[in-house]
Amino acid sequence: MTATIGERDVSGETGITTTIVTRVRDRALATPEGVALRNKDLGIWQEVTWAAYWDRAELVAHALLALGVEPGDRIAVHSENRPEWLYADLGTVAARGVTVGLYPTNPAAEVAYLLADSGSKILIAEDQEQLDKALAVADECPDLRHIVYLEPRGIRGRYDDPRLMSWPELLALGAGHRAEHPDAVDRRIAAATPGDVMTLIYTSGTTGPPKGVMLTVGNVEFAVEVLVTGGGFTSPPPSERDLALSYLPLCHVAERAFTVWFNAAAGVQVNFAESIDTIQANLREVQPTILFGVPRIWEKVLAQVNIKQDSATPVKRLITRFWLRRADRIGDTLVRTGGRHTAGTRLLYAAGWVFCYRSLRERLGMRRVRYAASGAAPIAPDVLKFYMGIGIAMHEVYGMSENTAVATANRPGRVRLGTVGEPHPGVELKIDEATGEIMTRHPGTFAGYWGKSRATADVLDPDGWLHTGDVGELVDGTHVRITDRMKDIIITAGGKNIAPSEIENALKASPYVKEAVVIGDQRPHLVALIGIEPDTVGEWARRRGITYTTYRDLSEKPETRELVQGVVDEVNARFARVEQVKRFAFLPKELDHEDGELTATQKVKRSAIAKLFEDLVEGMYAR
Amino acid sequence: MTEVKSAADTTVPDIPTGRSRRVRGRPLLYTSYAQDMALLDTPAKRISTGLLVVLAFSLSVLLADRSLEVLAGAYVLAIGAIGLNIVTGYAGQVSLGHAFFVAIGAYTAAALSGPPGGDTIGYGVAEIWIWLPAAGLVAAAAGVLVAPLATRLRGLYLAIVTLGLVFLGEHVFKEWQSLTGGPGVGREAAVPRLFGYRLNEDGPLGTKEQVLYLLMLVLLVAFAVAARNLARSRVGRAFAAIRDRDIAAEVMGVPLTRYKVLAFGISSFYAGCAGGLLYTISGYVEPGSFSLLMSVQFIAMVLIGGVATVSGAVAGALFISLLQPLTRALPSLVPVISADTTQTPNVFQVETVLYGLLIVLFLVFEPRGLFGLWVRARNYWKTWPFSY
Repeated sequence: MTATIGERDVSGETGITTTIVTRVRDRALATPEGVALRNKDLGIWQEVTWAAYWDRAELVAHALLALGVEPGDRIAVHSENRPEWLYADLGTVAARGVTVGLYPTNPAAEVAYLLADSGSKILIAEDQEQLDKALAVADECPDLRHIVYLEPRGIRGRYDDPRLMSWPELLALGAGHRAEHPDAVDRRIAAATPGDVMTLIYTSGTTGPPKGVMLTVGNVEFAVEVLVTGGGFTSPPPSERDLALSYLPLCHVAERAFTVWFNAAAGVQVNFAESIDTIQANLREVQPTILFGVPRIWEKVLAQVNIKQDSATPVKRLITRFWLRRADRIGDTLVRTGGRHTAGTRLLYAAGWVFCYRSLRERLGMRRVRYAASGAAPIAPDVLKFYMGIGIAMHEVYGMSENTAVATANRPGRVRLGTVGEPHPGVELKIDEATGEIMTRHPGTFAGYWGKSRATADVLDPDGWLHTGDVGELVDGTHVRITDRMKDIIITAGGKNIAPSEIENALKASPYVKEAVVIGDQRPHLVALIGIEPDTVGEWARRRGITYTTYRDLSEKPETRELVQGVVDEVNARFARVEQVKRFAFLPKELDHEDGELTATQKVKRSAIAKLFEDLVEGMYAR
Repeated sequence: MTEVKSAADTTVPDIPTGRSRRVRGRPLLYTSYAQDMALLDTPAKRISTGLLVVLAFSLSVLLADRSLEVLAGAYVLAIGAIGLNIVTGYAGQVSLGHAFFVAIGAYTAAALSGPPGGDTIGYGVAEIWIWLPAAGLVAAAAGVLVAPLATRLRGLYLAIVTLGLVFLGEHVFKEWQSLTGGPGVGREAAVPRLFGYRLNEDGPLGTKEQVLYLLMLVLLVAFAVAARNLARSRVGRAFAAIRDRDIAAEVMGVPLTRYKVLAFGISSFYAGCAGGLLYTISGYVEPGSFSLLMSVQFIAMVLIGGVATVSGAVAGALFISLLQPLTRALPSLVPVISADTTQTPNVFQVETVLYGLLIVLFLVFEPRGLFGLWVRARNYWKTWPFSY
């Protein structure tokens, strides 16, 4: 299990380090007219060929050279998912720069922190909104020299900051540079080494300020070999015939892997969703074959199915309900067999396919999904079981920015529900006997946190073991079950260790519960703050003739309390006495990134919540 | 390594459009506007439409001559209904004067193809490829002449003005005996002749009815495709914009007068062609037939079939035309209803009541007509397993 980065990354004949850049360049040479990307603009999925993709990326690289980017310089990208994100990423890596992704939802203060912390020289901002954030805090970012904007609307002719440059201007600059120095970029590419840092991925920062995870060319190549070409997730491995929908933020390691790396290494056709709000429609259009989602997405789709089923005509409702119950049984069997069909389930599924599953999956946009994965946060097993039951090969996977998303995955046919799967080949994984912390070691382990050597030392042993911060255990010696984040573990006043995320996820599996935060550290018993799902509860209220005005009003209805009490009671029945939620209170508002309650990845900031809603919590204990 | 062409187009949107390859198994994923606007955009539509056309053609050998004659008449009425649908359905301009334009077409065709030197005007040009376009063009010219009046009016006022046309026409055609032969007498209708070969006689292609059936079917397909094509074009979108709100359309830059004139012109062209063809089957035109009743019948076809859909207009025309032979068969089934016009209740009264009843029922329960019923059935399965 020794690292062999050098041998792996240097291709025999040329001696040039393989990077995602050379991979895309090779594809552009081999299949110039093949479709690399699709972007929906003006109602049409406009195709980008490999030749055009590489051409843009190369132009960006030339432009960066023309702007004086030296190896190791940071280039920040602040945009929704779109082809330009990939052009910028590839161009940066080709120029041996470091790509820094910013979440589109980052408020100005966080933009300031990220730009200053990373010391980015150039910012590529999507539109006026993102540009305004950057300009508002430009004084705090002394290194920022150029700002490139993609959408000229509202900017052109109104802003006269000397640092501004439009995207076409950037490309024109690159074209000029290419005409003068046609092989400048090729020389940079040839000079790349596996040790080059190619991207900074900022952690979501549930506890403190975000930290920039340095991933090197070697890290990413290892991840590509394990996850993509090695078929670490899918079986058979992804290919040019696969379609993916890119809709989660590209600054997150998971989406970067499923969009940029899958595309570059395996030729998976990437389709950019119009926005996070149009996923349902875009899914139906694209019908991807490989689909990665975070638990929030899977929960939401499941809730949609329940709403739509309840509001269907009686005949449809009856038939769908019947077949969804059968799907539940199929799911149960699949859970027992690890995802392999038995003759009985196959027969049952075939019948259900005619009446329900085919059209249901078509409606969900998952008719052709051959591999679905959930990751980045814990998910309730019941949600996964639903998808397995209707015939979607659903797998929970596990990884983090610090190990380039390479750790464990449930393999097709060897799925064990409630676990995050088995370690990938080439990955060393152990569980600390004293603390139960999961530790990994492999060539994908990151190079360190950007500018935070002490934080790096906290998580990275001298002998290369990465402390994940997750507490877990081995199931049957093969599969890893994660209990919770180490720092989230609740120790009650009675001295009992409780993993809140398990209880929270069981609550969130209900279509009516959107957020659940279990509290009880140093307390006599557990309580929960619950945020209702406004769509489903609203629909539920409408059908019962309960009138309401706002989110808060809906939350405070006695009927809603009864509804959620039912959910809580049901969940409580599955847990031991000490793990039961004794009381709960409703969050008076929807949690939001802007207000500092959620991270950019929609994870709850526990400490912030506990402080913001202190009176609610105290109220529950006072009674 | 890469093409040099990119340097020049860096200022324009950087994604090549125009290429159109479909992605297998993704009917909703359009990679070009041509795909998005295709008349038959899914394999299912292509196959079902193809089968329908094949079936229609094979009916010419499967059905008895009597039924073919009825169907041929229905097809011609369908052409007229499509015409009315263009001005009333797509462009939203209520026209009760459709019978007037049908009459102009019928008499233009009859006059052109009639024998010279007879009781009525005749020029002896019996070639269908001359008199059919001529009938359409003369009717279209009349439509364009009337249109400027219509462009100034809306809704009820427009309906009244076009209604006036029918009465004007009725009077003129009754009095102009050298053209029409006068009321109760009539004249010989246009003779369909194609390159010297008479289409309304038994011949090598089949019986008279079979040949006429095929002729009408081919023409209907041609007119229907043309109308569908028009509806999805810039012109069609302009029509729809005017229908939905003419002031808003004008604000968006749709020239109202031009498009209203165009709508009347095209609609009248269809009416004229239908008029020229309609009487070749019976071989005889009587000026009294171009009454308000005919206009109402066309309106009924459009309403029952489905407003602003070509297939709806065809379905409506077929429905109305086929209703007649069905009601005629009633006396043998229901003894109370008599086939004799002097007794009450008789078939003709039942028929009139039925028309009225159908229009009322459709307007109340399914304003989108037969096409709406089809859409409803289709959506039921399309939205499976949900309801929306």
